Amino acid sequence: MYRIRFHGRGGQGMKTASRLLGAAFFLEGFAVQDAPRYGAERRGAPIFAYVRAGKSPIFERGIILHPDLVIVADDSLVPVPAAGVMAGLTDRTVLLISTTETADEWRRRLHIHSAILTLPAPREVEDRLELRYVGAECAGAAACLTGHISKKKLERAILGELEGKPQKIIHRNIEMASEGYDRMADHKGLVQEGTLPSAKAYTPPAWIEMPFEAARISSPTIHAGLTSIKVRTGLWRTMRPVIDHRHCRKCWWVCSSSCPDGAISVNEEGAPGIDYDHCKGCLTCVSVCPSHAIKAIPEHQAAAAEEES
Amino acid sequence: MTETAFKHMRDLPSTHLLGTGTPACAGCGGLQAIHQIYDVLGKNTVFVNAAGCMTLLSVYPFTPFRGSWLYTAMASAPAGAQGIRDALDILIEQKRIDKNEDLQVVVLTGDGSAYGMGLSATSSAMERKLDFIYLCYDNEGYGNTGQQYSDATPHAAKTSTSTGPGGYPGFKKDLFSIWAAHKPAYVATVIGAESLDLARKIQKARDIEGPCMIISLSPCPTGWDFDPSLTAKVGKLAVRTGIWPLKEYENGNITHTRKPAKRLPVEAYLNLQGRFKHLFEPKRDEKMLADIQTQVDAYWAKVAS
Ligand SMILES: Cc1ncc(C[n+]2csc(CCOP(=O)(O)OP(=O)(O)O)c2C)c(N)n1
Ligand code: SF4
Ligand SMILES: [Mg+2]
Repeated sequence: MYRIRFHGRGGQGMKTASRLLGAAFFLEGFAVQDAPRYGAERRGAPIFAYVRAGKSPIFERGIILHPDLVIVADDSLVPVPAAGVMAGLTDRTVLLISTTETADEWRRRLHIHSAILTLPAPREVEDRLELRYVGAECAGAAACLTGHISKKKLERAILGELEGKPQKIIHRNIEMASEGYDRMADHKGLVQEGTLPSAKAYTPPAWIEMPFEAARISSPTIHAGLTSIKVRTGLWRTMRPVIDHRHCRKCWWVCSSSCPDGAISVNEEGAPGIDYDHCKGCLTCVSVCPSHAIKAIPEHQAAAAEEES
Repeated sequence: MTETAFKHMRDLPSTHLLGTGTPACAGCGGLQAIHQIYDVLGKNTVFVNAAGCMTLLSVYPFTPFRGSWLYTAMASAPAGAQGIRDALDILIEQKRIDKNEDLQVVVLTGDGSAYGMGLSATSSAMERKLDFIYLCYDNEGYGNTGQQYSDATPHAAKTSTSTGPGGYPGFKKDLFSIWAAHKPAYVATVIGAESLDLARKIQKARDIEGPCMIISLSPCPTGWDFDPSLTAKVGKLAVRTGIWPLKEYENGNITHTRKPAKRLPVEAYLNLQGRFKHLFEPKRDEKMLADIQTQVDAYWAKVAS
């Protein structure tokens, strides 16, 4: 059985990618499961989608822990622990990354023995969320890597899954999937099926016995306020708003009230400051600032500049 | 009636009560209003939240609130509010909590609940003169489940269940008038993009006893299909085109708190949103655009007379 895991950001079409690949497998006579992980499917947030495909009925359920193929549509997610890109990778896992870097560079950074393949991400695109078809490209590449899916079936899968969408969009998806497919031509069939789970090999997880507690303690009640700040929604950001304090006229009530997340606070001098741990990068502040003192820069550039300094 | 504490924009709160790190979409216009409203209400507020996008705010073990929050079924948030109000009153009467520990009970629901499923429970809560605030963030559809149409969806908008060439064939229900017909203590429309108007109205709702009913139009980048940076712009245009009248009902009178001197054409608002794209591409739908404009004009003609 194949176990394939997609990683991307909300808006990059990961759920659709998993469905396209799943449908193509199905048309080739496989039993298939495809599903996104239900949770924060918000724009920019790390998204997971899973495809299982096998020649016999699939009894395995839930998230994929040991993937045969991991596809990363946005390379900025690789170092993000919450995105879980590296989780459960083994030497036989194939890692496919859409990136501006080379495979060698990723091998150097990650110190892993898995095969690493890349799809070239366009350098000129500042905001990766604009890459609406990267999912289709990834699905096409994955289809080729399994060695079981013909281009024809892939195209039929796309037509079926996207039925009712405007012609232009369907066409772009087919084009991009086909491009991804062709780019992997040298590696056709590289991904190997993982073994089926056997009841004998099953080792139960290391259970921790929990004593039976009174409902007051054991029921899922939150006993403290403001715990949401533990969640780093700053990871969703692909573009970063930066305040140029030389041009800021300290009319903080504009940006600070407008920020949907309340992520702009005001210091004693009346200067606004952005909480980058939580700013999701919606850029509302950029559009409301009357003195145009807030600029948006690509997050990967901002992060690189930070690392250097 | 106390005078407003919010004369100028600079009177708005500069620190925020609502925690960051919520799962709401980037650029959510509902959250934009809620965080402003929470600042005015203060931390002694308990939210009673019917299923919808905002129930994701409090997902164990995380909450952006400083106090309690209760989750109810879609149709029953006002009933939940009644229970909490009664419990607080009893606790105070029995001197088990101090009067200054009292909480403001706020129902928080989407339009799916407010305009539809929860309308009956709301009607009876108003009839019982329940002392509470009802806050409906109106994103004009069932946002959390993928923007199916609701009774608040505007005419011609595409939703995931209105995919035909003309979009949604129905018309947005006039919830303000339905609520006002119950003669509650206060009814108001607000929007996060008009922070000062919003703060004044929420202060009133906070200080008035009895049912105080608020509808906040909530531009939704995900469901309405616009870039998240445009949330405030879409909100401002909803007011300037006259599509979202800012008004309040009190003592039997309706007052418009903002009368756009020169209303912009409705298409300035419509053409920013993907859900109305079919009115402009591939060919302009002149008839539909004129129909929508005529409706808005007719509304304001009545206001003027
Ligand atoms: C009785 C009932 N029907 C359906 C659902 C599923 N459901 C959960 S959230 C939601 C959408 C609610 O829409 P709205 O009140 O407008 O809130 P929004 O999601 O837009 O924030 C639905 C239909 C439910 N929870 N309860
Ligand atoms: S779907 Fe709309 S209303 Fe719901 S969280 Fe996202 S932006 Fe807000
Ligand atoms: Mg809604």
